[in-house]
Amino acid sequence: MGKDIGAKIHGTYIFYGKIKSLFIEQILLYRYNGKKAVDYMKSKYSGYMGKLVEIDLGAETVREYPWSDKERELYLGGKIMAARILCDHLTGNEKAFSEENWLVIATGPLTGTGAPSSARFNISAISPQTGILASSNCGGSFGFHLKKAGYDALIIKGRCKGRKWLEINDDEFIFHDAEALWGTKTGECHEKLAELCGKKNFGRLCIGPAGENLVKYASVISDERAAGRTGMGAVLGWKGLKAITVSGSRSVEVYDREKTAAYIKKWVAYLKEHPLTGSQLPRLGTAGLVSSMQSHSILATRNYSAGQFEDFDSVSGETLAESYNVNNSGCLGCTIRCRRNVKVDGKVVKGPELETLVLFGSNLGNSDMQSVLDLNYLADELGLDTISCANTIAWAMEASAKGIWNCGLEFGKPDGLASLLDDIAHRRGIGDELAEGSKRLSEKYGGTDFAIHSKGLELAAYEPRRAVGQGLGYAIANRGGCHINGGYAVIAEGLGLNADPQTPKAKADLTMMMQNLMEAISASGQCIFTSYAFFPKALLANPNGILTKCVNSLLPHLGWGIRIMNRFPRMLAVNLPIIHHTAILKYAVGMKMDLGRYLEIGERGYNMERLINTRFGISAENDKLPKRLTDVPQDPDDPSTRVPLEVMKRTYYKARGWDENGIPTEKTLRRLKIK
Amino acid sequence: MIKVKLFGLLRLDSGIKEIELEAGAVKDIYTELEKASDILSAKKLDACVVLVNGKSANKNTRLSDGDEVSFLSPVAGG
Repeated sequence: MGKDIGAKIHGTYIFYGKIKSLFIEQILLYRYNGKKAVDYMKSKYSGYMGKLVEIDLGAETVREYPWSDKERELYLGGKIMAARILCDHLTGNEKAFSEENWLVIATGPLTGTGAPSSARFNISAISPQTGILASSNCGGSFGFHLKKAGYDALIIKGRCKGRKWLEINDDEFIFHDAEALWGTKTGECHEKLAELCGKKNFGRLCIGPAGENLVKYASVISDERAAGRTGMGAVLGWKGLKAITVSGSRSVEVYDREKTAAYIKKWVAYLKEHPLTGSQLPRLGTAGLVSSMQSHSILATRNYSAGQFEDFDSVSGETLAESYNVNNSGCLGCTIRCRRNVKVDGKVVKGPELETLVLFGSNLGNSDMQSVLDLNYLADELGLDTISCANTIAWAMEASAKGIWNCGLEFGKPDGLASLLDDIAHRRGIGDELAEGSKRLSEKYGGTDFAIHSKGLELAAYEPRRAVGQGLGYAIANRGGCHINGGYAVIAEGLGLNADPQTPKAKADLTMMMQNLMEAISASGQCIFTSYAFFPKALLANPNGILTKCVNSLLPHLGWGIRIMNRFPRMLAVNLPIIHHTAILKYAVGMKMDLGRYLEIGERGYNMERLINTRFGISAENDKLPKRLTDVPQDPDDPSTRVPLEVMKRTYYKARGWDENGIPTEKTLRRLKIK
Repeated sequence: MIKVKLFGLLRLDSGIKEIELEAGAVKDIYTELEKASDILSAKKLDACVVLVNGKSANKNTRLSDGDEVSFLSPVAGG
């Protein structure tokens, strides 16, 4: 390993200015035998800042991590870059709460370039919730400021001696004592960080009490946006790192400024014209899906025992917009602006996303919208993932009703949930047990059949028995029960298109394609909401039209065609006018890109994540759903209303080039240049 | 009486959440809704997903007293 490139000056680490690059080159020659140091110098590609740094919290040292242009071409950035770094480091023996658990905060090449919805960053590490690879994506402005400081990624190793927060100003890394911040909620912590830094224009992220107290599903909060899933807040809490601030004086360069600006203008116009990204999301937010989910019987209700909630309109996006929404806003540089702003205790705060609305609403049998707004705000303040938190409470309510665990919680009674969230975050009373999540609770008390998780991660708001492709996605997703990482097939099964939601046909192939696509979008630094505009306006704006009906009817029969495209993505050596993501990489980054290459990068990322997980023991037997969803029909009179998981899994493994045990074959790994 | 409920942008644009009216078929509702708001044009209603008592329906679906008809704007994204 290389030497440190910083010097300790009263607890401050300052890079060696102009002689730095020479010194780094020398070090990097030691690092990877057989590779030329020049490979790791500044990137030939624009968009990137060309530098990744390792931060050793225990030793309080900082050094550059080697990363070549070849690696940029293979992995782009974000979660795939993080997966490569962790794939090179993890053996399968590392625990979430250990010094060997590196936490990678990574941006993509488009972060900060002005490309639509590109203010994203990703956090990856081993999850305390699942024990396998985690990734959690976040908006806000932290990613942009990280790049302005000159970094594409931070690799955080070890554990602080005591409690710290880290201030990054360009090349300066300062470790501060965090005793005064410890115990603060995320909003107060954000305010204090601004005072301590004395800055207005900077990026910040922090954990709340939940992360400090190692709640398994603790989130990381940045500008009221959350890297919510998989417990990354608990990893930072164990490391003793309360917060990171970052500011910089650099700028993100683009390859062809004129063409980039023109293309962004064209893309923004397209997004504004599109019915989803131009009207639906800005005006109703993701919450606008509630009523549609109700109509398709996929609205998680009372711990996924049903797909419809009799009082759904009380917690619908329309009601939110009519009676609670103050205005909408967006992450830095986003034209979609899906964020709802609502009032809680007279203060304007971020409103709930769809997942939170459903899981604190219908899934708890709760029709009190204001209570959902309050719980959403409180969860963010405490640093709790709303999805896992609400799901765990739903399990507890059902367990209590069944007499399995008499915790006193009841469906339809939100009173007292605010203090319960506080107890969870501080691990008091039953909150201490709920802080472990539904998997561990059900293994302790019973009730695993209705513990709604996969691999330890609780599911999102879509009840999958009436959208079976989404059910497959939940089961096989690399990070556990996630709708996005699972491919979001539900968009073709009722939300957008309306292909037969009960058939397993083509769902495995569709899921794989969507996963690869979203993996690449995330790695490039963009919000996946830009992908909703992939579905042409002509299809979405007219669900009763002949064209849409034809597509809906044909889709289940096109699995073979999607399979061929998945297997031979290089056939798709084109840039489609509806998929702007590939062309922008050419103009802003200067990287040769087309749809085929893009999909292949996504496929590479997905397989690398799976490879890491197999080292931690993941195989086909872990790709599962609770029995409620696979064995019990939602409609007792219609046996098709359950998830036919095994048949879809077999097809999916074949399509992925994995063996029957769900392990990527050597041939697949070599084809994708992972090995 | 038939209870008609609107969802999505159709509801936000028209300001109509729910109305009750007489109708023998879904297509009869079109006429009444067009009268109720300029926003509720036949073209916009044609683009909606229509449900009668929670089940998929179309313009020609017959209605009985007490039925509930929902018009949902096409949506996606979560």
